[in-house]
Amino acid sequence: MFSILSYLLLLSVLAGFVGALSGLGGGVFIVPALVILAHLPMPVAIGASLISVVATSAGASVAYVRDGWTNLRVAMLLECATVTGAVLGAYLVGLIPTWVLELLFAAMMLETAYSSLKNQDDRPIATGDGFARRLALGGKYPGPDGRQIHYEVTDVPVGAALMLLAGLMSGLLGIGSGALKVMAMDSLMRLPLKVSSATSNFMIGVTAGAGALVFLARGSVPAVVAAPVALGVTAGALAGSRILPRANVRVLRLGFAAIVLLIAAEMGWRAASGI
Amino acid sequence: MSASAEAEDRILRLWTPLILRLVLLAAVVVLLTGLVLVAVKDPAAYVAHFRRAQQLPSVVDREPWSALLERALHGKPHDVLTLGLMLLTLVPLVRVAFCFLLFLTTRDWPFVLFTAYVLTGLVLGTVLGRIG
Repeated sequence: MFSILSYLLLLSVLAGFVGALSGLGGGVFIVPALVILAHLPMPVAIGASLISVVATSAGASVAYVRDGWTNLRVAMLLECATVTGAVLGAYLVGLIPTWVLELLFAAMMLETAYSSLKNQDDRPIATGDGFARRLALGGKYPGPDGRQIHYEVTDVPVGAALMLLAGLMSGLLGIGSGALKVMAMDSLMRLPLKVSSATSNFMIGVTAGAGALVFLARGSVPAVVAAPVALGVTAGALAGSRILPRANVRVLRLGFAAIVLLIAAEMGWRAASGI
Repeated sequence: MSASAEAEDRILRLWTPLILRLVLLAAVVVLLTGLVLVAVKDPAAYVAHFRRAQQLPSVVDREPWSALLERALHGKPHDVLTLGLMLLTLVPLVRVAFCFLLFLTTRDWPFVLFTAYVLTGLVLGTVLGRIG
């Protein structure tokens, strides 16, 4: 028992650590680790990963909420879309062949590697549209000199459509879909990048929770796998986030993008060869 | 942001981290207790459950939650672990329920509707998992 438990804990701590350092989240690494290294079926890995994403998000989002980086109103509005997608995605996992899930995972990894490497610069603050102003979606965040900087939000319906896709991918693949969420808020809805990242982190818990509830209610997440994975990924993410401020993020991202590309190649190969 | 939205925001920033931490802590304690119980009481069952998970392409085990809760309260290791996982998935549910109640008391109707939709989605997910 102890060898299996230690192995699962080690894989999970590493996945959580690398996920926090790379900013991609533990799910991106723990799903392939459980499938390729622990020889578990894809649906089991997805269910266990979703539960670990809930735990990691709850732990990580606390500081962002407290310090005023998270836009809570935007998060709660967009969660309508992500929860719809996540429930649908998690339900479909039981119906879709494994090779399709592996192929989708490989494609999602390619998108994640691209997102982590492309330049993300803060752009001028948007003026906001009528819909966003009626719902008081604009907010403020702490600037470098301690002054509060106001921002507005725009194009909510288009952002929500992308959030539906992010939720679907989360439920289908057991990942947080943080890259897609940040892209929707930063590029389409014009929230400041740091606010987008913090808000995405906050939303990931509810998105993954919606998928995890489907898996748990179906009884398709073996507790002997999911329990050490949840504890390990959370501990690893905590350690990773402590080291992150002292790390060279640019170099780390290059290295992790290479790992993500290797994972995409392995999952794509598994899908093609029917392993 | 309007004055009432700012007031809501202040309450949410104060209480949300506390709620998240409390439920997360409770879940972690139950999960750790479950792992200790497995190690002490039934390590062979852990290995058997793990091998079963490796061999079956997907597992479906919709046993009644009342039975699971009863066994967990009697210290059955595997059920204590499952209870810990359930507590963990309650973290977002509790957080959204708190927001729903807050928006209801402040009569912020659009956000009452949004949070009610999210809560319904979470409950519907559970129902789908039980029957689908």
